Amino acid sequence: MEFAIKKFQDKMTYRLDFFMGIVNTAITILVYLCIYKALYGNAGEVDGISYSMVATHFVITLGLSNAFHYNEMFLQDKIRDGSITNEFLKPVSFTLRLFAENAGEGAFKIIFHFLPALLITLLYTKLCPPVSILGLPVMFCSVALGYLILWLISFIIQTWSFWLFSVWGIITIKNVFVSILSGSLLPLWFMPEPLQKILSFTPFESIYFTPVRIYLGELSGRELLFALAVQVLWIALLGVIASVFWKKGVKKLVVQGG
Amino acid sequence: MENIIEIQGVKKYYKIAKREKGMLETLANLFNRKYETKKAVDDISFSIKPGEIVGFIGPNGAGKSTTVKILSGILYPDSGTVQIDGFIPYKQRKQYVKHIGVVFGQKSQLNWDLPLIESFELMKFIYRIPQKEYEENLKLFIDLLDMEDFINQPVRQLSLGQRMRGDIVASLLHSPQIVFLDEPTIGLDVVAKERIREFVRYMNKTKHTTIIFTTHDMQDIEKVCDRLIMIDKGKKVYDGSIHEIKSKYANFKTLELLLEDGSKELKTFDISVTPMSAVMEQLFSEKNIKDITICESEIDDIIRDIYEGRIVLDRPETERN
Amino acid sequence: MNELRIALQSLKMSVKTRMQYRADSLVAALAVFIRESANIIVIYLALLKFDSINGWNVNEMLFLFSLLFLTYALVVSLFADLRDFSRMIREGRFDWLLVRPRGLLFQLILNNADIIASVGHGTLGILLFLISAGKVGIRWDFATILYYVGAIVGGVLLQGGMFIFFSSLSFYFVETNSLREIFYWNMRKFAGYPISIYHKLIQGLIIYVVPFAFVNYFPAQYLLRKPDMAGFNEAYIYIAPFVGGIVYLAAYLFWRISVKRYYSTGN
Repeated sequence: MEFAIKKFQDKMTYRLDFFMGIVNTAITILVYLCIYKALYGNAGEVDGISYSMVATHFVITLGLSNAFHYNEMFLQDKIRDGSITNEFLKPVSFTLRLFAENAGEGAFKIIFHFLPALLITLLYTKLCPPVSILGLPVMFCSVALGYLILWLISFIIQTWSFWLFSVWGIITIKNVFVSILSGSLLPLWFMPEPLQKILSFTPFESIYFTPVRIYLGELSGRELLFALAVQVLWIALLGVIASVFWKKGVKKLVVQGG
Repeated sequence: MENIIEIQGVKKYYKIAKREKGMLETLANLFNRKYETKKAVDDISFSIKPGEIVGFIGPNGAGKSTTVKILSGILYPDSGTVQIDGFIPYKQRKQYVKHIGVVFGQKSQLNWDLPLIESFELMKFIYRIPQKEYEENLKLFIDLLDMEDFINQPVRQLSLGQRMRGDIVASLLHSPQIVFLDEPTIGLDVVAKERIREFVRYMNKTKHTTIIFTTHDMQDIEKVCDRLIMIDKGKKVYDGSIHEIKSKYANFKTLELLLEDGSKELKTFDISVTPMSAVMEQLFSEKNIKDITICESEIDDIIRDIYEGRIVLDRPETERN
Repeated sequence: MNELRIALQSLKMSVKTRMQYRADSLVAALAVFIRESANIIVIYLALLKFDSINGWNVNEMLFLFSLLFLTYALVVSLFADLRDFSRMIREGRFDWLLVRPRGLLFQLILNNADIIASVGHGTLGILLFLISAGKVGIRWDFATILYYVGAIVGGVLLQGGMFIFFSSLSFYFVETNSLREIFYWNMRKFAGYPISIYHKLIQGLIIYVVPFAFVNYFPAQYLLRKPDMAGFNEAYIYIAPFVGGIVYLAAYLFWRISVKRYYSTGN
């Protein structure tokens, strides 16, 4: 937790970044809302989805995806300059610390980039209110689970820097896949049917789409529990994969001395 | 002979914004900045004749780099005049820089990932060096600086000394009449330093290149330069031959005293004023001395003593024409 | 001729540098390509569901995008040093240009090319052009080809001019990247789509302040004549290829004035 707070404070010092973050987020939201508005034209609903639902979906996902962006080259840099070995000497687990720092940064971005951008957006567009106040805590749980899924995917790829010269390219490509397949730019409702089918068997659906559907009240009762269970399942599976890669990587480092 | 470099009353002051900590102060700073003035170069004049090698020394922040930047046309002086080889550097930049070569020891102009020869080729085109002259110069420099072995290696794999040699060649390929070497020996080992000194001497002797050489290392000055300009806090504090300064201050002796309590102390005396015997007598009467070592004044010591105020120079004979 | 030699030698050096890390460069170029494709894939998928966006169909959208990528590919191969100019100042590398007997902008433009970005954006631009150019009803005759080439050159000059403008600001301020981020990159986000979908205020910004509209929207309108052009002055589509030259000239003059500050303050 201290690491999360420390990172949070670090971020506060970059006031310019702070301002830029708001502007960039607000403008991206604006551009896409204009596009969706133009796409909808005069149609009230498409496939039972209204414009304001799309707008709400987009604003929430974009906010979250911003918050989930952090320095993914961290592990590679640590391995390259050899400082990773110092990390092993510290009493706190390196992975836990990394997670806490990233989460702290994410919390910072949600509060200081996303919320102001959201307020700006509310000035010119109407978004759907949450279906019920009770739904909100459930949604936050789901957001946290979604974050964990995304973090694990990122971490797995980061561990490849034990073997590869540079993971920058792969990370960039992964981010494109995540942003498209998780529906952060085009909601999964509008994806071609076959693609939607395939995606339901991948972790991508559990990242943003599940929390947003909870917020919009599209999921309830059994469906809701099922969606949450799927999230947990993905976390378990990805967690296992991540720890395998991590252990193998550390072993390689120790045996070969980097 | 005509002076090739003529500097009169050059001043360069910087305004430095004061930075304050804390959010509120920084915010206030945005609107109402406070400035400090730093006198980087404060009324410096000198002149240099064609074919001279002049050593330029001074402690860090004394204004050496700023002076070199003014000479090479990178900075305007706030006031004063600069005339070099018939040009005013900052007004006729493009014509002027054809005639000079500049080496900044602290930053390289070479492409990091490629062999030296690629950067040299680029210089050939940028300076419009005729092919024949280029080839002759390159061959000569490679021989003199012993660069055959590494000319085809990427620069990032070279040692600092090898890289510095490459930088020097890149700046001299167009046969400039005047060369500014800003700390070309910084961080190098003795052998590498010696090679560069030899090269600089050679260029001066055979091509009559006028050279200004800034350094921290007095050995550079002693072995290469005829003349020494010393600056401190933006002012010129000495301008004359090395020989002159040595003979002038040879009378200054530094004594290292080992006291009874084990501590050491340095004392400097002018024995032309106080004879050695009187100095000793005085010291032994004042302190409990265990041992005394007499340090021969090397040029380094003299310079250090000047900076640290143990030797007070008679204010310089500034207008040396 | 000598200028051409410098250009060739610089290009050779940029390419050789990249070839040293061949696999890494390839992956990086691919990553740029894929990163930039994201928005295109999204609009493609969206238009599978919705037929058009303000009257623009898929192919027309791809054509609109292609202009943005093609011009940017050329911009980064020429103006890479000006894109990263504030760093150049900070690291003191600008001093080297000052002690060489050549124009400063000339050296900045020729010195360095961002091959990776150029290949990534260029490949995407060419691909989009090839997919769309035959299907959007343009008759490719002498006049349209001439206009198209003019529009590309204009678009390159316009964005190059903007890079020169932001670089000039580095002589006044330490931090200029954020300004550029706001006024260049965010405006470019808008410019990917038909600007008729935006509020008048944003349209004004994109036409008069950061005139990206003249890089792709108005040139595309000259060739496609979509009905949403009715909202704008018809003259814009004819002057589009020339706006770049004007912006470049203005930026050049601003640079001439600003660079004087460097001589008096250093870095």
